[in-house]
Amino acid sequence: VTATATPADQPRTALRETGGPRLSDRLSAGVLILPGVVWLIALFLLPLGIMAVISLGANDPNGHVTLANPSLGNYAEAFRAEYFPAFVRSLYYAGAATILSLGIGYPVAYWISRHGGRRKILLLILVMLPFWTSWLIRTYAWMIILRDNGIVNGLLTSTGLIDSPIPILNTDFAVILGMTYGFLPYAILPLFVSIDRLDESLVQAGRDLYASGRGAFLHVTLPLTMPGVVAAALLTFIPALGDFVTPDLLGGAQTTTIAKLVQVIFTSGHDWPYGSALGFLLMAVTILGTLLALRTLRQEVIGGSAAR
Amino acid sequence: MSERDLPGMSFNEALEENLALARWSRREFLGRVAAFGAATALTQLLVACGQGGASPSAAAPTAGPTPAGTTTAEATATPEPTPVPTPEGELFVYNWDGYIGEDTVANFQDKYGIKVKYDLFPDEATQIGKLQSDGKGGGYDVSYPASTWMPSFIQDGLVRQLDHSLIPNLKNLSATWQNPGYDPGNAYSVPNYWWTTGFAWDPKHISKDLTSWDALWDSAYSGHMAMLDDMRECFGAAAFRLGLSPNTTDLAELDQIVQLLEQQKPLLRLYTQDDIGDLTSGSLWLTHAWSGDWVQMTYDKPKTKYAIPSEGAVRGNDVMVVLAGAPHPIAAHLWIDFNLDADVSAANTNYIGYMGPNDAALPKIDDYIKNDPKLNPPPEVLAQLVELKYLAPADLDQYTNRWTALRA
Repeated sequence: VTATATPADQPRTALRETGGPRLSDRLSAGVLILPGVVWLIALFLLPLGIMAVISLGANDPNGHVTLANPSLGNYAEAFRAEYFPAFVRSLYYAGAATILSLGIGYPVAYWISRHGGRRKILLLILVMLPFWTSWLIRTYAWMIILRDNGIVNGLLTSTGLIDSPIPILNTDFAVILGMTYGFLPYAILPLFVSIDRLDESLVQAGRDLYASGRGAFLHVTLPLTMPGVVAAALLTFIPALGDFVTPDLLGGAQTTTIAKLVQVIFTSGHDWPYGSALGFLLMAVTILGTLLALRTLRQEVIGGSAAR
Repeated sequence: MSERDLPGMSFNEALEENLALARWSRREFLGRVAAFGAATALTQLLVACGQGGASPSAAAPTAGPTPAGTTTAEATATPEPTPVPTPEGELFVYNWDGYIGEDTVANFQDKYGIKVKYDLFPDEATQIGKLQSDGKGGGYDVSYPASTWMPSFIQDGLVRQLDHSLIPNLKNLSATWQNPGYDPGNAYSVPNYWWTTGFAWDPKHISKDLTSWDALWDSAYSGHMAMLDDMRECFGAAAFRLGLSPNTTDLAELDQIVQLLEQQKPLLRLYTQDDIGDLTSGSLWLTHAWSGDWVQMTYDKPKTKYAIPSEGAVRGNDVMVVLAGAPHPIAAHLWIDFNLDADVSAANTNYIGYMGPNDAALPKIDDYIKNDPKLNPPPEVLAQLVELKYLAPADLDQYTNRWTALRA
């Protein structure tokens, strides 16, 4: 498979060779990006920095955060064997939700791209439709559906399939279902973009070279849409790992995640320094995972094409 | 529930309608909606719809005194204009939703001509966070924290010392509430409601009359039980079962307590944040519960039972405080005095089902509350109840470390 430079790349290359964009262009670009930068600094980096500083502190005897003796002690304390089950559980939920989202999302995105026709936009809007309602409200709706006197159990008992309600709410199943439901649109959108951008003639070329339909998909379509797959996986896995609303509402006594522990440390424990440290460790794991995934992707796509 | 046209309804009506279908109380729903910050905007909308007032911290509190005359339009409702010993025309109250009598705010406004901006918080963490945000109460005049916060609030200067001469109705407090441990002499706070933490069950599934904490460790109910998602209450329940104090800071005793909770965890369906909804929806047969929540459960399932366990139980109460940065401290005192009035206090209790500490209100409290030994326990049961004490951060850490390990 040879990745060719798309026509869109040409003018950019030409521009660079003639000395780059004009100063006025760069200025207006700077002005355009300014609100975004201010937003990120004020509402993301600054709070993050504050948390980073707090994570080095401790609670004084009056319960206030003090930075008198900054140390990494909170981080050392965060590595507790007792937390291991919750950590594994978090990875399990996020991993399962990611795999399910990709498994469900890819065919949907593929279908919309190849068979959506004039209705593509409408179908994409339908994918995003759930965002019009607060995620929390939608999770509550799942509670109504899944609870013991809920819709699913009601159907099962009224059709005589079961005698008494089976517990669905407050189980692993409910948590994974809720997460998959919640993050599926985040998976479908990047998958759609990469599938839709794929030049159909490449698949045709594969077929002309006697590839079966399955072979063309596995050796042409799938590798070329891998960036979309990785983006979809990241957009599902990362928020799922930090999600404590779904495990909290749909889960039960045996489904505690790391994110929930962080919340408990902040609210019940009033221990901001320790909670911050645990939060940062979770973030470090996430960033590490993201970098690994992106590196794999680079080797897969760019590295692969450069070799030819 | 009739099919009504949504566009014709106010947002609140529509919400009530939907909640009725979903069998949640509005208070519970609002509480949980905002519990996770994800729906902050929605909450603000609900608050705005419910009260028509903006958050005082957002809408810069009126710093200067407002002449009372400017807002006394409603005062004409009272035949004899009550002398208003205040130059303040507004009052910012921060409280749970559905926590006072339905007419309390309107009656206060009528009586004093003071406009009340009544803001709601969804859960305690939000409340405390907001009150502590600027170190002097987040711009509010009055709030209702749990009494366990008082030692820390007093020490931090978050609350204002009360001027008892402005609260003549303090005389209505029963003798047992004149000198509480968390705030001797009620110098900074006035007790508001009190409750017990026991357990509630659905007699459809459990016909036995449960009396002991043992029930929540009974494997016969495995998978159908919940404990409250509340660290101190869970430690308290296990402590009572072991004959220990729910305020223990002895590490060996804490280990014993958490060991007992470890034994219990596999039997639990969940640690609930919605004991009312989870029991009335049939998910639970038996749940650790607050007495006031039990009253709300009976609205939905009248046969629901509640017990104050024989080994003893936690008695909790909340208090009314004037915050250190209160923009309208005199109006705040008037509010507290008003809520200590026998009629107002009784109306509050009759609405929510929590007993107040108000002796004068007792004759006016509904019989079903007053005569229920679970809501208004006899002296020998009262003697078994223990107040949760504020824990110093180092002791609290010992609790939290064990609690997070248990929950993980």
